[in-house]
Amino acid sequence: MSTTPQDPVFSAHHARALESVLDEIIPPSEDGRLPGAGELGLVAAIEAAVRKTPDLEPAVVQGLDALAEIAREAGAAEFSSLDREQRVAALHRIETSQPAFLPGLIFHSYCAYYQHGRVLEGLGMEPRPPYPLGYALAPSDPTLLDPVRARPKLYREV
Amino acid sequence: MAEDAVDVLIIGAGAAGAAMAWSLADTRMKIVCLEQGDWMDPARYPTNGMDWEMRRFGDFGLSPNGRGRSEDYPVNDAESPIKASMFAAVGGSTILYAAHFPRLHPSDFRVRSLDGVAEDWPLDYQTLAPWYDLNARMMGVAGLAGDPAYPDKEVPLPPVPLGKLGETLARGLNELGWHWWPSDSAIATTEYDGRAPCINLGPCIMGCAQGAKASTDLTYWPKAVRSGVEVRPRCRVREITVSEDGMADGAIYYDADGAERRVRAEIVVVACNGIGTPRLLLNSKSKHFPDGLANRSGLVGRNLMFHPYGMVTGLFDEPLEGYMGPTGCCIMSQEFYETDASRGFLRGYTFETLRGMGPVSTALLGMGSGRVPWGDGHHQAFHELWDRTAGMVVICEDLPEEHNRVVLDPELVDSNGIPAPKLEYTLSDNSRRMLDHAVARGTEMLEASGAKETFHDAPLGVAGWHLMGTARMGTDPERSVVNPWGRSHDVPNLFIIDGSIFVTAGAVNPTNTIQALTLYIADTIKNNLSNLFD
Repeated sequence: MSTTPQDPVFSAHHARALESVLDEIIPPSEDGRLPGAGELGLVAAIEAAVRKTPDLEPAVVQGLDALAEIAREAGAAEFSSLDREQRVAALHRIETSQPAFLPGLIFHSYCAYYQHGRVLEGLGMEPRPPYPLGYALAPSDPTLLDPVRARPKLYREV
Repeated sequence: MAEDAVDVLIIGAGAAGAAMAWSLADTRMKIVCLEQGDWMDPARYPTNGMDWEMRRFGDFGLSPNGRGRSEDYPVNDAESPIKASMFAAVGGSTILYAAHFPRLHPSDFRVRSLDGVAEDWPLDYQTLAPWYDLNARMMGVAGLAGDPAYPDKEVPLPPVPLGKLGETLARGLNELGWHWWPSDSAIATTEYDGRAPCINLGPCIMGCAQGAKASTDLTYWPKAVRSGVEVRPRCRVREITVSEDGMADGAIYYDADGAERRVRAEIVVVACNGIGTPRLLLNSKSKHFPDGLANRSGLVGRNLMFHPYGMVTGLFDEPLEGYMGPTGCCIMSQEFYETDASRGFLRGYTFETLRGMGPVSTALLGMGSGRVPWGDGHHQAFHELWDRTAGMVVICEDLPEEHNRVVLDPELVDSNGIPAPKLEYTLSDNSRRMLDHAVARGTEMLEASGAKETFHDAPLGVAGWHLMGTARMGTDPERSVVNPWGRSHDVPNLFIIDGSIFVTAGAVNPTNTIQALTLYIADTIKNNLSNLFD
């Protein structure tokens, strides 16, 4: 499949399935503070990863096709039509039949998820890069060094 | 071939090259530095972007192999358990270093006399002390006077803050009655010498966007350039040339456009690190030096010393705010630095505590270790790791062994066709026993600090940051490559000033000592200019 930066990497059908896969890799948190990876729009991050590493694409596409087949077996139109329990079961099934599918997706989704501003906020951080604001650390407790100051010289004289 | 002539040619613009250029500038000699990297732009450092953690897998990775930078040359380190790590730029590896800036101990200069192994240096701590002090002022070293692990020393700036993580580990060390002290750090903790103060960004090892970390492109180089030294970036030296009478007379290099050029020089100074320097010398063969320039001893490339590193990490119940603060500079412990043969090994090691990880690194640690699964339980597992890790690296002294060496790879070349270096290195039994001891003590320390679980990794693979010994100094031309002030025994106008000249490695980061040695050597050159080649 040829791509330009503006061309989508995945078909609409594959992109819908991928969004559902990502929501199972990193589901929404139970307390609602953190969204699922698919809901966060990380299909775009996977596309970016594939553009950088084209070798990823066949494994992802084959895995999505395998999930579509499992969905058809279950009488569903597509993977994203399955209920949650069925989707998780399907993913576990292809962990062995399509061993190249999940590891790459997990790596790239973890990377993209945990640099996203909404997730940083959910973790209690500010949704920004470290620079230029940095972080403030409180001054250190000088009395912590008292036991060390009381020790004799540690180095060998020569 | 285009050609020009200078008085002093410095090859390499890193820690040592910068200090030499600055010091020699007051001689008003015409000085040129050739550097295969370029000036760095702090606006492009990773901490400017949300994807900063990912950049360690790309252009700000630790290994020159796979970084994808045109400035890098490949290193065949397949036969070494410790992989090479260096950075080509104006500033060299100080662009990426953590700025941990301890000195060697007095005993590190007398290892043979004190412990019966390795060799003694041909100089001592007292000789270098004033140059350590000068370097502390030039680089802006933050720390605290009064450390019982060292003789009194100058520390111009207040120490980096410990933060909640540092104080947690300090309490553990106090519980054990072990030594610790705020790390000497080449980081401006207040405004200093025109540089802004540290704002605790975190990943110093991917360049300091704030400019608080003392890389030499910010410290020595601006002063040297203002004094008339010329830096030629993107210029890769192929070989040092030799005249009919066996003196170094310049170098052939490839400029930024790939054109071959020649520069003639009266004095040649090599500052290419403990892998780059022997590589250059071995690639500089001539009828006078068929085995490589300045290699009549056969020791160029030999006695390669790293610092075998281990890492011990603890998992804590409470958040530690570990993503804040200079990543590698917090506190260090030298409880086990000096030799105690009852431990089962000679020499010793330093603990250097590490700040915590960012969210992406935490997730990847969890992925790799199986602690953070996909699907159900993901968030619970992630939160048990996030901001709850703290630990240290252990820096073990490596003893010099001649079979550990840098040679030229028979096939691998860089983008200019210059033979690449190959590392032949094995870990000694002494190092293995030391690492085992260090990991056990590190675990003990983290448990005393409140860690509910610990894990370790030793020896660390991509941890070949400290490159030493491959052109060592000494008084005997058959047992050393350069004399006590860095001059080649074989080539009177050739000087070597990087970690290659180390006789022993100590158990601390070498940059401060590299620069102190360089300042001492530069001063000696200046004091002997009238009869320098005698």
